[in-house]
Amino acid sequence: MTYFFRPALTAFIILSSYACFANAQTEDKLQFSGFARLIMGYLDDSNAEYAGYDNSISLGEQSLLGLQADYQFSDTISLTSQLVGHTNERRESGLEWLYVTYKPNKAFQVKLGKQRLPFFNYSDSLDVGFAYPWLTLPKQFYETSFFSTFEGLLANYEFPVSVLLINLEGYWGYYDDDIYSPDGGVETKVTGLFGFNTSVTWKNWNARASYNQGNTELTLLSASQFGEQLRQVGFERSADWLDPDGLIQFYQFSVNYEDLNYFLRSEIAKMEGESGPVPDIDSFYVSVGYNFYPYTVYLSYSKRNLYYNHPENEIPFGVSDQLNALAGGYVAVTNGFLDDKSAGTKIGIRWDWRSNVALKAEATHIDADEKISGDFTLRDLGNFDGSAILYQLGLEWVF
Amino acid sequence: MNRYLYLLILCFLGPVKTAMANDALIIVANTPDASIQLTRQQVRNLFMGGALSYDLNAVALPPENHTRVLFNTKVVGLTESRIQSYWAQMRFTGRKKAPKEINNEQQVLEYLKTHQGSIGYLPAGMPLPDELTVVYQIN
Repeated sequence: MTYFFRPALTAFIILSSYACFANAQTEDKLQFSGFARLIMGYLDDSNAEYAGYDNSISLGEQSLLGLQADYQFSDTISLTSQLVGHTNERRESGLEWLYVTYKPNKAFQVKLGKQRLPFFNYSDSLDVGFAYPWLTLPKQFYETSFFSTFEGLLANYEFPVSVLLINLEGYWGYYDDDIYSPDGGVETKVTGLFGFNTSVTWKNWNARASYNQGNTELTLLSASQFGEQLRQVGFERSADWLDPDGLIQFYQFSVNYEDLNYFLRSEIAKMEGESGPVPDIDSFYVSVGYNFYPYTVYLSYSKRNLYYNHPENEIPFGVSDQLNALAGGYVAVTNGFLDDKSAGTKIGIRWDWRSNVALKAEATHIDADEKISGDFTLRDLGNFDGSAILYQLGLEWVF
Repeated sequence: MNRYLYLLILCFLGPVKTAMANDALIIVANTPDASIQLTRQQVRNLFMGGALSYDLNAVALPPENHTRVLFNTKVVGLTESRIQSYWAQMRFTGRKKAPKEINNEQQVLEYLKTHQGSIGYLPAGMPLPDELTVVYQIN
């Protein structure tokens, strides 16, 4: 039950520290709010692990508590901080947002500080389960972005044109932290990180397109050392492939529709990794839902195709024992970067019990290739046949 | 005989017409420019935190309020739960803030009277002071 104490402790520390601050301020200038998720899951297959869930009931994968404080310095300048305590030990608890906002009018705002990356529709609200209909976001799509925060500048401008409402957004900054991998954290630096997106709203329709890029430096020691060894004996092309540093680009496009009775949410994305160990990923999801207030039922299908541009082996076999060992090592290393295809089909229901509390139930059927890399959401624990169902119940609360 | 039939029809129509009148809404603004007229789309954008050519600040009624339910249904075109989830996303991503909530229609009227640039929705037929302008109406 330790996973209950971590967010509770985080919450206590945050509230205690803010309480001292709050006493000295007027109520209007300082505002607190928060969100919480209590999510239970069970995977029906003992040979696999999906999104951290295995063949036992678990509350400790997605449950969390987030607290936000907003302080308004003046009509145009404010400070926002958000702390999130995760029950999942693989996710780092602590400061997710800390930024200053300059908002001279309703149409324009600039934020400076630590923020969430706005790659996709829900990238900046991944932890606020109350904000989306699904219990778990379509993993095959939302796991595409390996890092979710950045430090830098984000500007947003919104304006009406005839019957359209247009929103333009751009950001620039860097990322310097670990990224999650089932085998542990990978030290990552992303410089020259920037992106822009535009969304257009017309009546009940909304379309969004975005482009993002960054130069990544991954600390993959074994790959780098082996690459250096290859370079010393003249196999430059093979050494280059193993160099994990390089440009990553994300492209995204989405179309959404919603009215009193129905909704459609769809998103498609492409990620291109320049270096060998960073894969290319094509992914999409389509969800349709029906509202009968206070209930919403939905169906969703998502798919991901992850693949590496494996080069031909340039190291000859059969020349010498030393080259044989090198060639064998190279083949073994590159074969470790497995292509990975998976799909997820969801059916679920959301019940808005109160205006700020929702209960959700969801079943997700996962359909994957029999051979999977295990580097991402889905892991083969031995003899996994590529098919499993995740059952989940959840409570979402905002306050 | 036709007269009785006519009266009978009126008896049935009467409550229906009253109910329709009660369900009509007016969008009221405290603005020096009394010529402003908005479209439904503009009103929707404004109450969902969107930008508009006019500098108006929206105020809303609480979630359980009947007038708010009518406004959600007729103008915004979304359920209360979807509106709440939208505002959760906006608030925790620092994008927009939900309109200030005021307890009831009478207090909304008082607020609008005393705050220039404010805009709110009220049931049609509510007596309005001269300083307020109806910028949109929906039956």
